[in-house]
Amino acid sequence: MTQIASPPHPPEGSFSGLPIDEADLPTAHELYRGMSIVRAVELEIEKMHRLGRMSGSFHSSLGQEAAAVGVCSVLRVGDMVTSTHRGHGHALAKGVPIEGVFAELFGRSAGVSGGRGGSMHLHHRTSGFLGENAIVAGGLPWAAGAAWARRRRGGDDIAVAFIGDGGFAQGVTHETLLLARFWKSPCLIVCENNGLAHSMPSDRLFGAPGTIARTVEGAGITSRYVDGRDVVAVAKVARELVAHVRAGSPAFLECGVFRVRPHSLSDPDYRYRPKTAGRDWLALNDPMANLRTRLERFPGNEVARIDAEVAADVNAALARAEAGPRPPATDAKSFVYTSPELQNRA
Amino acid sequence: MRELKYAEAVRAALEAEMEADESVVIMGEEVGALGGVFTVTQGLVERFGEHRVLDSPISEAGMVGFAIGAAAEGMRPVVEIMFSDFVLLALDQIVNLGAKIRYMSNGQFSVPLTIRMPGGGGTNHGPQHSQSLESLFAHVPGLVVAMPSNPSDAYWMLREAVRSDDPVIFLESKNLYFRTSGDIDTRTGPEGFAASVVRPGDDLTVVTAGRMVERCVLAAEELAAENVACEVVDLRYLWPMDTASIEASLRRTGKLAVVSEAVEFCGWGGEVAAWAGEHCFESLDGPIVRVGSERVPIPYGHELEDQVVPTTERIVAELRKLADY
Repeated sequence: MTQIASPPHPPEGSFSGLPIDEADLPTAHELYRGMSIVRAVELEIEKMHRLGRMSGSFHSSLGQEAAAVGVCSVLRVGDMVTSTHRGHGHALAKGVPIEGVFAELFGRSAGVSGGRGGSMHLHHRTSGFLGENAIVAGGLPWAAGAAWARRRRGGDDIAVAFIGDGGFAQGVTHETLLLARFWKSPCLIVCENNGLAHSMPSDRLFGAPGTIARTVEGAGITSRYVDGRDVVAVAKVARELVAHVRAGSPAFLECGVFRVRPHSLSDPDYRYRPKTAGRDWLALNDPMANLRTRLERFPGNEVARIDAEVAADVNAALARAEAGPRPPATDAKSFVYTSPELQNRA
Repeated sequence: MRELKYAEAVRAALEAEMEADESVVIMGEEVGALGGVFTVTQGLVERFGEHRVLDSPISEAGMVGFAIGAAAEGMRPVVEIMFSDFVLLALDQIVNLGAKIRYMSNGQFSVPLTIRMPGGGGTNHGPQHSQSLESLFAHVPGLVVAMPSNPSDAYWMLREAVRSDDPVIFLESKNLYFRTSGDIDTRTGPEGFAASVVRPGDDLTVVTAGRMVERCVLAAEELAAENVACEVVDLRYLWPMDTASIEASLRRTGKLAVVSEAVEFCGWGGEVAAWAGEHCFESLDGPIVRVGSERVPIPYGHELEDQVVPTTERIVAELRKLADY
C-alpha cells in the first residue's frame, strides 16, 4: 500500500511546485489558460452579483482552480464529469463554453441548461459535463453509473465525480465507493478538501489532510493525496489515476485546496474564521500566481498573451450572454418528461 | 394465455423485456442467487447472467443513483427495492436527480429507469415493512407512478414501464404476490395510462388502486345484494391520473368514494376528491367520501392492522352511507 502523507491544512508554507521543463511548456501554458479562465469567470460572476445583474446564490472556487483544471486536463472530451454546488471551475475546465455558463447564470435561454438550472445546475453533455448536483455528494453514484454504462456499451470513457471534504461525510459517498469497486465502474472520485465543510473545519472532522485518501485506500481502492496548489502536480497524479481507471477500476484522489471565499455569497464566514483568512492565504499560496511565476522564468513565455486573450474572451462572452433573450414563458413547463404523451399532461 | 400468480407475472414481464432488449438489467438486493425475497427474480441470473442481474450491496441510495446514471447513459435498469419502505433511503437520488435531471438539463438527459417495490400491508411485516408510500411519489414532478392490482396488469404495466423513457415508480402489492393468479394473454395487452372499470354499476363510483381494488370489488358485491350498484374504477396509475374515466363514471352515478391503502390525510384520495369537486361539481349528488388508512403506522397483527387499513367491512359501511345519502 502506498503511504499517503499528511501535510498541513490549509496547504501552505514552502510551495515551489513541480519543476517545469522546456518540453512541458505547451502543457503548462494550457494549464495556465484553464486556470485563468476559471479565475476570470468567477471574478466576473462576483462582480455581476455586486451589481445586481445576477441573482440567487453562488459558490466560488477561487483559489481551487488547480484541482479542477489539473484533473480535467488529462481527460478526453468523451469522459464524463459530475460536480457539486461549487462547480463552475469543473464545468469550464471540462470545456463547457464560457458564454453558456454566463448565460445560464443570467437566466438566459442560451444558458447551458436553458436558464432553468442556474449556478448549481450547469449541464453540458456535449463537453462531457454531465452536470453539477447541488445535493452534497449527490453526483457520485450518477458518475459511477454513467461510467459503468459507457463501459458496458463498449466504450472506454471514464467518469470523474468531484466532491468536497463535506461530501465525504455523506453515506452515498461510501456506498458509491463500494458499488464502484464491486461492479467495476471506471470512475475517479476527486475530493477537493478545501478545509471547510461550510463552517466545519475538515481536520476536526476527518483529521489531517491525507486522512480521507488513506481511509479510501483502506477500503481497497487506489487512492492518492496531492497538494492542490500545484496544477502540475495535480495533472501528474491525475494522469496516473486516470490510466488506472481507464483500465477498469475506480480510484480516488484527495486534493488539498483552500476555500478563499465564504461558503456562498451570503455566508458570514467571519463568524467561524478570521476575516482576512482568504485574502491572507491567497497572498502566499495563489496557485495561479505560482504557475505564472514559474512560467515567467522562461524567456518567450506566453503568460501575457494568454492573460490578454482570456480577458478578451471572457468579456466578450459576458456581453453576448447578457444580451441574449430570456426564456419564453412556455419553457417553464417543457422537458419534465421524455414521452410526448406524458409531457403533454405535465 | 398463461395462468400466473402476481409474482410470476412480474417475473414473466422482466424476462420478456430482458429477452427483447440487451440494455435491460436488473439491480437489487438478493436478486441473484436468492432470486429476490419474494421470488420475483428467481432463475433470472441463471438465465441471463451476472452481468444482467446485479446483486447489490445494501446501499439503496448508491444503487438507485448508480442506476439513474446508467439509465441516463443508455441502459434500462430495473431496480428492485426489497420493501417499498426502504426506498426512503434513496429518496434524494429519485427526487433530486432521477425525476429532475431531464428538466434541470433542459432536455439533455432522459432516465429510462423502473424502480419496482412491494408496498402495503397484509403480510404481518410490521410498521417498517408495510407502508403505502405512493402519495409521496405522486407528488413529485418527473415520475410516473404505477400500481397494478392484478397479475395481468402487473405483467403489462411492468413491460410498459421498462420500455418507458421516463422514470417509473412501480408499486407492487406483496399481499397479492402469491394469493392472486390470473390468465394473462402475453401476446397482447392494454397499453397507455387508462384506468380500468373492473366492475360496472350506476349508483356510485368507487375510485381505488392496488390492493384495495380487491376489497372494493368485494364490497361492491356485498352492496349488490342490497340493490346498490357500485362502479369500481381501478386507476392503475396515480400519475398520470386518468381523470377522464373518473369523470365519465361520476357523470352517470353522481356519487364518488375514493378508497386508498395510503394514509387518507394528504393522500392521493384527497387529490381525486378535490379534482372531482372542481370539475364535476354539477354531477355530484352527495358528499365525496374518502376511505384511507388512519394516520398511524401500520401495526403488526391483523387485528390491529384492520383498525388502520380500510377493510372490506369498513368500505361497505362507508359506501352504504353514501348510497343512502
